[in-house]
Amino acid sequence: MGVRYVSRGRGAREALEGITSIAFDLLSFSAIIVLVVMGLGIIASMMGIFNFAHGEFLLLGAYTVYLTSALGYPVWLGMLLAPLAVALVGFLLERGVIRFFYTDPVVAMLGTYAIGLVIRESVRGLIGGLYLSVPEPLVGSFSLGAIAVSKWRGMIILVTAAVMTGAWLLLTRTRLGLQIRAALENPALARASGLSTTRIYALTFTGGAALAGLAGGLVVPIFSMFADLGVRFLIQSFLAVLLGGVGTFEGPALGAAVIGVLSAGLPWVTSPVLADVLVFVIAIVIVKFRPGGLLSRGRS
Amino acid sequence: MRNPDRTAVFNPVSSRRSFLKNTLWMGAVATGSGSFIIPPAWGQSNPIKVGIATDLTGPIGFAGNANANVAKMVVADINAKGGILGRSLQLFVEDTASNESVAVNNVRKLIQRDRVDVVFGGITSSMRNAIKDVIVTRGKTLYIYPQLYEGQECTPFIYCTGPTPAQQCDDFIPWLIKNGGKRFALPSANYVWPKLLNKYARKVIEGNGGEVVFEEYYPLDQIEYSATVNKIMTGNVNVVFNTVIPPGVGPFVKQLYEAGFTKKGGRLSCVYYDENTLNINAAHEFEGLASCLDYFRAIDDPFSAQLAAEYEKRYPGTVLFTAGSAATGMYRGLKLWEVAVKKAKKVDRETVAGALDSARIDQGPGGPAEMVPGKRHCKMNMYIAVAKNGKYEVVGRSKGLVDPKEC
Repeated sequence: MGVRYVSRGRGAREALEGITSIAFDLLSFSAIIVLVVMGLGIIASMMGIFNFAHGEFLLLGAYTVYLTSALGYPVWLGMLLAPLAVALVGFLLERGVIRFFYTDPVVAMLGTYAIGLVIRESVRGLIGGLYLSVPEPLVGSFSLGAIAVSKWRGMIILVTAAVMTGAWLLLTRTRLGLQIRAALENPALARASGLSTTRIYALTFTGGAALAGLAGGLVVPIFSMFADLGVRFLIQSFLAVLLGGVGTFEGPALGAAVIGVLSAGLPWVTSPVLADVLVFVIAIVIVKFRPGGLLSRGRS
Repeated sequence: MRNPDRTAVFNPVSSRRSFLKNTLWMGAVATGSGSFIIPPAWGQSNPIKVGIATDLTGPIGFAGNANANVAKMVVADINAKGGILGRSLQLFVEDTASNESVAVNNVRKLIQRDRVDVVFGGITSSMRNAIKDVIVTRGKTLYIYPQLYEGQECTPFIYCTGPTPAQQCDDFIPWLIKNGGKRFALPSANYVWPKLLNKYARKVIEGNGGEVVFEEYYPLDQIEYSATVNKIMTGNVNVVFNTVIPPGVGPFVKQLYEAGFTKKGGRLSCVYYDENTLNINAAHEFEGLASCLDYFRAIDDPFSAQLAAEYEKRYPGTVLFTAGSAATGMYRGLKLWEVAVKKAKKVDRETVAGALDSARIDQGPGGPAEMVPGKRHCKMNMYIAVAKNGKYEVVGRSKGLVDPKEC
């Protein structure tokens, strides 16, 4: 590292570069987790259902991008198609299967788990159980001082910010958003007021699926295409929703940011194997003291 | 327990047994095409039974299927030439399903139901450890393990035909020091193979004047490596000796590339990288990656090329004949065993093992191979290859057969 031999000015600059580098890495991974969690969080918060197939919705989005690219079309086209394709799958599943489970969340969990398993093993069959690279639309990195920053990871931070803002505006500032929240708050009253909760639930689930598809499409160039891509994310996403608390839009997103920072940050200070466990331990401790989620006090 | 029906009459667990009997077909349905038998092409009342236990399904199915393909190819070839000792070979293939508990049951079928004369297979070390007792200790059967691995498997009647740490490191690490530098980083997946391989590699690195900057272990499913990459970049590492496995290796190599490691003259290396792993990353991301194995498709050896062409003709598609998936070790194992049985003129375990102990084949993937007497490991040629534009270029070949230095 050479810090011992150099002047103070250079030492300070190196320290600054180190901090910038860490900050970007934490921000970038948190953005990925937030993007991944958003769809799950919206479905869990607005419909009271934990979608265990969320990881596989993400996988389907990733597969759409992989397929588009493998067939010779541009990757960005696949990224536009991914949310649409997964939204369609989500819509069909909601209409065909999931709507029968709304009264029984535990059965819904098992049902979505089964759906996820079918999707995952089908994709495994389709790609022959291999690990395949998917090119990113923006290749390489740009320099920020002496550190190199991945262009595509930078792009994901921007997209996450945009999608977050969009989803938040939709839920809090539009008529549709009001209806969705009304259907969550009191379905019976919503129906009595002339709202079709059936339609709203279908729409919400489809929207959540689309977000998962988008997330999958955007992150697959970073993590490469493989059948278990969704599994790891599913576990982290659940932890994030648990941490952030169900029932709000901001809760799961905040929880995701915390999980992202912890998972990317802890390996800097402790051994990675320990860090992996510590993320869960810390999250569980927080949930113990804030059972309603990080934002619970402000809301109740 | 030859006649379970008779015992059932006075056995209190009879209902459970008949339940098991009646539901066995469900297991057969669940395993699907997982297990199959290939009878010899020509009539033979007394075939030699060859058992293959490999991962046809699950995450490493691509490797297991390559192993099964090689076995089918070699057995068909031996049968076409008249079999061994005038007897044909009958192949019994069982799926170990990348799952140790499933595997133990299926391997038991090979031993107890099919009564095979020899078992080839297992890819991961955890699989070998799970099934070896069933085969060797309780099954009293010969076991040949084909995969490159961490070494130290010295159980009698287990013969290893894949490369050991000595074979993968002794030539390779000095080459890395010469073509990379002295400062090594050892990022690794947290299981037995990387741990024992690193232990050996560290000895060779330090013995050749190099140093290990860090050796670190990650959860097997970790896919974010920014902290590691940063440590590599700030620690002025010259050589990354990687044992992170998929799914982590894809994002790790990409992050390393984006941080500019190879652009700044760093050397990336990974000793399980073969033709199967070429698609995990884009070509530019692992340009210059060096690997050391017993075979590459690109090596200059007429017999190996002929073998690969024959395989590709029989099994076109994505299941490749590669060294990292144990396909080369499988070929070597089958042919060495053939030599041993011919020499032993019998198929019982002790006699065949005695002959196998010093068996030699003149041709195989990568060249000849021979067992080191008393060591149950195999001498073979080793090759160093470097990735250029998404393909391997062979840059080094061992001077003669390399000693496994085991047991």
